[in-house]
Amino acid sequence: MSTDTNTVTALPMRPVVADVLREAADADPRLVVLGADGQALAAGVRERYPERYIDVGIAEANLVGVASGLARAGRRVVVCAMAPFLVRRAAEQIRNDVANPGLDVTFVGVGGGLSYGTLGPTHHCPEDLGFFSALPHTRVYCPADVVDAAWAVRQALAVPGPAYVRLGARADRVVHAPDERFDAGTGLLMRPPGRALAVAAGAGVGIALDAADRLAGPGHTLGVLALTAVTPFPQERVRELAAGVDAVVVVEEHLASSGLGAATALALAGQWHGAFAAHSVHTGYPPIGDREELLAHYRITAGDVAASVLDAVRGPGAGARR
Amino acid sequence: MTPVAAERPDRALAAVSTGARRRLLDLAASRGVHLGASLSVIDILVGVYDLTGFAPDRPSGHRGDRVILSKGHSVWALYSVLAEFGVAGLDDPRAGHPVEGTPGVTAATGALGHGLSIGAGLALGARLDGTAQRSVVVLGDGELDEGSVWEAAMFAAHHRLANLVAVVDRNGLQQEGHTESILSLEPLDAKWASFGWRVLEADGHDHAALRTALRTALDGQDGRPTVVVARTVKGRGVSLMEGDARYHYVQLTPEEHAAATRALVGTGQGAA
Repeated sequence: MSTDTNTVTALPMRPVVADVLREAADADPRLVVLGADGQALAAGVRERYPERYIDVGIAEANLVGVASGLARAGRRVVVCAMAPFLVRRAAEQIRNDVANPGLDVTFVGVGGGLSYGTLGPTHHCPEDLGFFSALPHTRVYCPADVVDAAWAVRQALAVPGPAYVRLGARADRVVHAPDERFDAGTGLLMRPPGRALAVAAGAGVGIALDAADRLAGPGHTLGVLALTAVTPFPQERVRELAAGVDAVVVVEEHLASSGLGAATALALAGQWHGAFAAHSVHTGYPPIGDREELLAHYRITAGDVAASVLDAVRGPGAGARR
Repeated sequence: MTPVAAERPDRALAAVSTGARRRLLDLAASRGVHLGASLSVIDILVGVYDLTGFAPDRPSGHRGDRVILSKGHSVWALYSVLAEFGVAGLDDPRAGHPVEGTPGVTAATGALGHGLSIGAGLALGARLDGTAQRSVVVLGDGELDEGSVWEAAMFAAHHRLANLVAVVDRNGLQQEGHTESILSLEPLDAKWASFGWRVLEADGHDHAALRTALRTALDGQDGRPTVVVARTVKGRGVSLMEGDARYHYVQLTPEEHAAATRALVGTGQGAA
């Protein structure tokens, strides 16, 4: 298991997802891929089936409207775009024209969260998971690395109806074994909980694992539940794991108010008593920084998470629920 | 109830239009409706659904055509026209914008600027499948303020979607006043032409002229998508409401309903 003191491997998700999409196009002749002046994810499909890749240009609203029409014509549609522009420019088309009627459209958003770093706040998208989670019929995935990114896209396509998969913009740290098996209903328990549990997704998974390494030892072992499928949220599973701990922390590259922070709190409210902390993005305007610097700005780091857990388990209220 | 057969004579279409207007006024007596824009688009909808061969048991007509009322607030016209064409259960509709599940409704609309993209996607799908299906999208002129319409217009022309037809209900009024005083659309024909579309003009209340334009638009022979700019009058068919922006959204009092019904005039012979 890698830690923040060891060498970590980081790989971009895009080439892997491009391969997954090509395989999906091989298997389903009705699959088409749409892009908005960005072809990296469609590279494999475009090469093999040029007529099944359509670049609509820099026009996200039309991108999604056309996807809706193609889906109504019986096509399985994959929409690839930069997450910030997809979510904010085409919000109404995504909701009215795809999600409401429950069409077979998989959205793949590149650069969710803070992963565009120094390109600045125009390119940050810490609200994408919350936006898609607010839509009817829609499944939402936030993979951490290339391994669960491939699984998430396959899973999104395997089930009828709309889905969103958030991908990182650059290289993402590999946290999963290549042959790891995922389950949309339960998440992946990567560390068993002691007195504390971390609920994490995306880049938050590696950060939570690092925090767990820092805390390894008697008394305050941090469990890590990694959620690649964030919506539907596995409420029961979270309640079950939280039942035995004093503290729950959320680690996510997303706004807490519409992300894992809110979902976890809703799952536990009234049914669990303990310390809770969300290491999430907030609405404060960020400084210029790369992804690591931005995560540090929002206190989404292994050190901050470990400190939260220690405060919680040593604090005056710790153990009170027993 | 009008017998259903594609391409009724103009006289029969005029009767459908008048019947639909009567139904529309009845609806407007019991609830608030977007009345002016429904009256202006009735003859267009009658012409479009007639030409595609719509029937209650064959909502996509003879060739699987798909009609999208992108100016969804005119749904009251749609209910009234479909009822005249024999669709049952539309005497007391509740939804103020089209919802999927009503025969003849392809997509739920109401947020403006969505229909042309959906129509373009359907047209592209038909071409990929090699089918003869066509998409007809009915737009409001005020709706053309939305930028997404022009994204779709560029897309359709670039892909030479000859099986896509847009019909603009050019009634010259939007909610708060004249289109040209709020956000100029003119020269509208030249705008569409410059985007790569074939442009046809028609009197949107003259069934013979509309049919000629729509039939040409639907022939798919030009290699380009086609727009029919249909000149219409908001409130058309009820003489006391014509061109009056106050009837954009109203519920008629019993007195107004009676007066409007008396003021119902036959259309189909043109806007003049």
